[in-house]
Amino acid sequence: MTTTRRAAVLGGNRIPFARQFGPYAEASNQDMLTSALEGLVARYGLAGERLGEVVAGAVIKHSRDFNLTREAVLGSSLSPDTPAYDVQQACGTGLEASILLANKIALGQADSGIAGGVDSASDAPVVVAERLRRKLLRLSRARSTADRAKALAQIRPTDIGIQVPGASEPRTGMTMGQHMAITAERWGITREAQDELALASHHRLATAYEAGFFDDLMTPYLGLTQDQNLRPGTTLDKLASLRTVFGEGEGATMTAGNSTPLSDGAATVLLGSEEWAQAHGLKPLAFFVDGETAAVDHVSGDEGLLMAPAYAVPRMLARQGLTLQDFDLYEIHEAFASTVLSTLAAWESESFCRDRLGLDAPLGSIDRDRLNVTGSSLAAGHPFAATGGRIVATLAKLLAERGSGSRGLVSVCAAGGQGVVAILEAA
Amino acid sequence: MAVETLPEIPAMGPLLVRAAVTARGRHGDDVPERTLRVEDATVDRARLAAYQRITGHDVADTLPQAYPWVLASPLQTALMVRPDFPLALPGLVHLENRVTTHRLLDAADPLTLEASAGPLRAHRRGRTVGVRLTAHVAGDLVWESDSVYLGRGRGDEDTVRTGGPPDAPEGPARAVWRLPENLGRRYAAVSGDVNPIHLHPLTARALGFRRHIAHGMWTYARVLSALGRGSLGPSTSRVWFTRPVELPSTVELVARTGSDGSVAAVRPAGDRSRTSAVVVLEG
Repeated sequence: MTTTRRAAVLGGNRIPFARQFGPYAEASNQDMLTSALEGLVARYGLAGERLGEVVAGAVIKHSRDFNLTREAVLGSSLSPDTPAYDVQQACGTGLEASILLANKIALGQADSGIAGGVDSASDAPVVVAERLRRKLLRLSRARSTADRAKALAQIRPTDIGIQVPGASEPRTGMTMGQHMAITAERWGITREAQDELALASHHRLATAYEAGFFDDLMTPYLGLTQDQNLRPGTTLDKLASLRTVFGEGEGATMTAGNSTPLSDGAATVLLGSEEWAQAHGLKPLAFFVDGETAAVDHVSGDEGLLMAPAYAVPRMLARQGLTLQDFDLYEIHEAFASTVLSTLAAWESESFCRDRLGLDAPLGSIDRDRLNVTGSSLAAGHPFAATGGRIVATLAKLLAERGSGSRGLVSVCAAGGQGVVAILEAA
Repeated sequence: MAVETLPEIPAMGPLLVRAAVTARGRHGDDVPERTLRVEDATVDRARLAAYQRITGHDVADTLPQAYPWVLASPLQTALMVRPDFPLALPGLVHLENRVTTHRLLDAADPLTLEASAGPLRAHRRGRTVGVRLTAHVAGDLVWESDSVYLGRGRGDEDTVRTGGPPDAPEGPARAVWRLPENLGRRYAAVSGDVNPIHLHPLTARALGFRRHIAHGMWTYARVLSALGRGSLGPSTSRVWFTRPVELPSTVELVARTGSDGSVAAVRPAGDRSRTSAVVVLEG
C-alpha cells in the first residue's frame, strides 16, 4: 500500500424522514435500514453483488441489534457474501461511516461499499428503572419457588416504570437543547436569526422537492413520499409565535421551530473506486477529499457541547491548504439553528480564532447563499445516524450539478462534544 | 358465474360462529358457482406491520406473498358458510396451497379481491374442494391463490395420489425456530383466523386435536420470509401441509436452493423422519 486512490460518491438513497411516533412508529431500525439499502440496490442494479463492505449504525440501538448492519445486508438483495459492521459516533455516525469507507477505498482495501445510518426515536429500547432491573435479574436467578416468591415480593409498585432514552448528556444531565441554549447565549444568537435560518431550511427543501431533486435520492416508505416534518408554507410570523423550549427567561431563543424534531429514518450512500464505478457503468458524482474529527470539553463548560466542528474544520483546511471561502457549497447540519449560527459566529470571531484555534486571523464569513441550499435537518428532520448519509448524497449530487472541481464542506456536530467534518469535490 | 360484490370485507368472528352452528347437515356433491368480490380493499398498515413482524418479514411497503390470502380469507369463509356449500367448515383440513404474485404488491394499491370454490374431488380420506382467491389492481390480475381443503369423511381408497410434495430436503437444519405457546393466539389477532384449533389446548382438544397447532399459513409465510426476498417479487410458491405443528414446539427449517428456486421443509427439531410442511418457491 504505497499509493492511495480517489474514493468516489456514486449515489445515495434514503427513505423520507418521519416525525417520532409518525408513520414509522412500527418500523425498527433494521426495517428502515433494509428499506433504504434495498432502494439503493435497486437503483444501481446491485442485486446479487458482493460489495467490499457495508458500514452503518444507529445511535439508539436495541442490544439485540448488535449486528444491525449485517442483518440489514442479509435482508437485502445484496450478495450475502458482503461483510458489514456497525459504527456509532452519535449524530456523526453517518458521516464517520462514509469517511471510514472512503478511506478503505482510497487505500485499496475495498473497491466498493455502502455507508449509512438509521435511527428510530419511536421504536426506542425501553429500559426499566435500574432498581427494578436488579430485582428482575434476582428473580430470574431464583431457583426455588420460595426464593422466587421472595424476589417477587421485593418488587414495589413504585419500582414499576420505564425509562425511554432521551437526548441528555450522561456527564452533565443536561439535554442537548439545554447545552445549546448556553452556547447560543454566549454567542448572542438572536431568536430572529434562528427563525430566519429555519425558514430558509423549509423553503429550500420544499423548492428542492418541487424541482424533483430528491427523485433519485429517495425511496418512498410506509406511505411517506417526502419528509414529514417539512412545512413548505411556514412563515417568519408562524415561527415567531412559537414559545421557547430551551433556555431561561429573557435570554431564551430556542423553539420547536428552530430546533430539530425527534425523527425516524435511514440513509445510505454508495461509494467506490473509479475503476469499480466504470466497470459497473456508474459515473462518480464527487470524490472524498478529506475528513476530520474533533472533540471539545463540554463537561467542564470550557466549550459548548456542539462546537467541535468549529475546531475540526480549520484543522482540515490547514491540511488541505484551503480557506473557508474556497467552497462552492456548505452543508452544516442544523441540529439547532443556533448551532449553525454559533459555528459561523465563531469562525468570524477574531478572539475565538486567535485564542481557541491559534490562528493569526479569523476564518471569516461564508456566502450564506451557498449554505444548506436544499434545506437541512430543521426541515427534513434528523434521525441521528441517518443525517450524515443524507448530507453526503445530497452534496455529492449538488456538486456534480455544479460541475467538475466544485468543492463542498460538510460539518456535523455530535453528542459527547464531538464533531465530524469532510470535504467533497465534484468529479 | 354469479358474482356478488360485498360492500366490504366481512368480519371473521361472526362468520366462524355461523360456520359452527351450520356445520351439521351439509350435504350434496355440487359446489355452487359463485364468486364473492370486494372492490378496492385498502391495506391497514398497522395490521400489515404486525403480520410482517410475526412472519419474519421486514416492515415495508411490499406485501408478503401470503398476505393477500389473509386479506381475502373472510371472503373464502363467507363462501363456505352459505347454506348451499356442501362441506362443513369446522374440521376442514388445509392440505396445500399455491400462490402466484404477478407483480410487486404495494401496500398503497387498493386490491379488488375475489373468492370462488371449485368442484369436489374424491380423496382417500374424504373429499377435497379447491378455493381460488384473486387480487386485481386497476383491472390487472396481480395475485392469485389456489387452496385445497379436505372434508374428512368416507374416502375413496382407489383415488390416485397426484401432485404431492417433492421430497423434503435432507441434511442439517438451516434454522431452528422456537414457537411459543401463544403463537396461535398472536397470529389469530393479526390474521383474524380465530379457529379454536390454534388458540388453546382445551379448545383444540374439543375439536379432536392433542394440543393447539400453529396456523398453516403462518408456517408458510415464515418459510417464505426465511427464503429471502424472492417471494416478494413476481414468483410462484407452493406449500403442502403434511402434519400439524403443535404448540409450543421447536422446529427446524431445512432447505436446498438451486438455480430454479428453493425447496424447503419444516420438521420437528431432532426428528428428521417427519415433515410438517414442504414449501417450494419457484425462482
